[in-house]
Amino acid sequence: MRPGFSPRGGGRGSGRGGFGDRGGRGGFGGRGGFRGGRGGGFRSPEGGGFRGRGGGRGAPRGRGGRGGFGGGRGGFGAGKKVLVEPHRHEGVFISRGKEDALVTKNMVVGESVYGEKRISVEEGETKIEYRAWNPFRSKLAAAILGGVDQIHIKPGAKVMYLGAASGTTVSHVSDIVGPEGLVYAVEFSHRSGRDLLNVAKKRTNIIPIIEDARHPHKYRMLVGMVDVIFADVAQPDQTRIVALNAHNFLKNGGHFVISIKANCIDSTAAPEAVFASEVKKMSSENMKPQEQLTLEPYERDHAVVVGIYRPPPKLKK
Amino acid sequence: KMSSFRKALKSKQRNHHERSQPVFRKQLGLLEKKKDYKLRADDYHKKQNTLAALRKKALEKNPDEFYFKMISSKLEDGVHVPKKGNQEVEMTEEQKKVMRTQDIRYVEMKRVAEAKKIERLKGELHLLDADSKQKNKHTFFVDSKKEVHSFDLANHLKTAPELVDRVYNRPTLETLQTKTIQGTVEPRSMMKMAKQRKHQYKILSQRIDREKKMFVISQKIQTRKDLQDKNKKVKVKKETPNAAAIYKFEPKRKR
Repeated sequence: MRPGFSPRGGGRGSGRGGFGDRGGRGGFGGRGGFRGGRGGGFRSPEGGGFRGRGGGRGAPRGRGGRGGFGGGRGGFGAGKKVLVEPHRHEGVFISRGKEDALVTKNMVVGESVYGEKRISVEEGETKIEYRAWNPFRSKLAAAILGGVDQIHIKPGAKVMYLGAASGTTVSHVSDIVGPEGLVYAVEFSHRSGRDLLNVAKKRTNIIPIIEDARHPHKYRMLVGMVDVIFADVAQPDQTRIVALNAHNFLKNGGHFVISIKANCIDSTAAPEAVFASEVKKMSSENMKPQEQLTLEPYERDHAVVVGIYRPPPKLKK
Repeated sequence: KMSSFRKALKSKQRNHHERSQPVFRKQLGLLEKKKDYKLRADDYHKKQNTLAALRKKALEKNPDEFYFKMISSKLEDGVHVPKKGNQEVEMTEEQKKVMRTQDIRYVEMKRVAEAKKIERLKGELHLLDADSKQKNKHTFFVDSKKEVHSFDLANHLKTAPELVDRVYNRPTLETLQTKTIQGTVEPRSMMKMAKQRKHQYKILSQRIDREKKMFVISQKIQTRKDLQDKNKKVKVKKETPNAAAIYKFEPKRKR
């Protein structure tokens, strides 16, 4: 494949490559869009800031009025021109102004993590800042907008995040769980782990773990019991990986949220069949699936399965 | 006065008629007058003189005479046209190839710029209630057949029945009771925001369109460039407005 031509088939449907394809970690193509490399969006905060802004602006933010967040671009405009409605899932919001976006409340006010837009809303005296959460990049965001019943990630929850990559989605999960919660972000690749570490520097509720999720005993000393495991590992044996971690760290009656990319499990079988076989595998590992959701129009042939681990026995009447 | 009297008399006169061709000579057309004859005769003599001059020139011509036009042109339907063939080519294959490479680079640069802008727009426009978007599939797993029969979506999601179709956000009844909307809620500015939002979506779709087109263009130029190679190739698929032609090249090992 020639560089510059992202791998896309003849059809080019609406859920095209370029945004979604997450298969080959690292590398060009795949998700390379914001993975450093050729001056993409994601850069370390020290290295000259995001979106070409100087690094000097830290915590004390006082420029009054519009200038509150950012020189040039940055926020969605003046605070009065947006409407933010609370979402079904606590800690998640929908912003409807000129933009049409899923957002989370920014824990580190004044900072973007991967060049995403920020929106601030004035409520009387206080100003609240939100960050847009792109469902074209995040499976969890896509599941939320697809209408998933439960994500089990809520303020105060302890979350284990397998396949944290550069920490883009992790930053939003950290926004949701808030200062009371914790996110154990596991990522094997050192390259994207570097970005993850930079995210974790600013957010104290993220504990980055650069280890292979297949060997949970290597990080067992770092991790306590968790309420939820979110997995986006895109490996053929991902159900086994999640089960391994669940046996080690997930509390009884805790939940799991697994994103499945059909191509990564079996590229020859029909996606529906792949999802069904994964759901079956889960059942055999004491993980009881409760719902399954495909991620159109944000991703093609992806599904998110939500379930409960070691459910408490049903009370017989 | 005498003159006016003469004019008055003229009104009584019969009109003057030019002599016309007699009926028995009618097949010869209009009767020729002196001025007509003069025109015809002058024309005739001019041609005769020209012929005579040319004849004389031909007679006096030097048999050893040579002009380059004699070999660089040829007769085509009685007209001399310059011979083609050993003309200088305007562009070499090599130059064409370089130009095509530059064209591809430029289109590609523009396409990438467009893709970046699309990415940025997509970051804030999440197709929340687009009508035309693909439907996803939501499956709930329950324990018994009985539960399947008694399944009620609104009840299961603990939301208001009116909100069931609002997939992107179906707040629970509890959320509806305890949480409030922040920001602008007055109808006028909400309408204005909706209008702006619509416009943003329009821009996004235009950009996506443009990016697709530029992708096709760069592919087409690439194909033209590849065709310059002298390798053996077979056309597999014809070119269409939104796809370049596909050729199969004979595999050849390059040193």
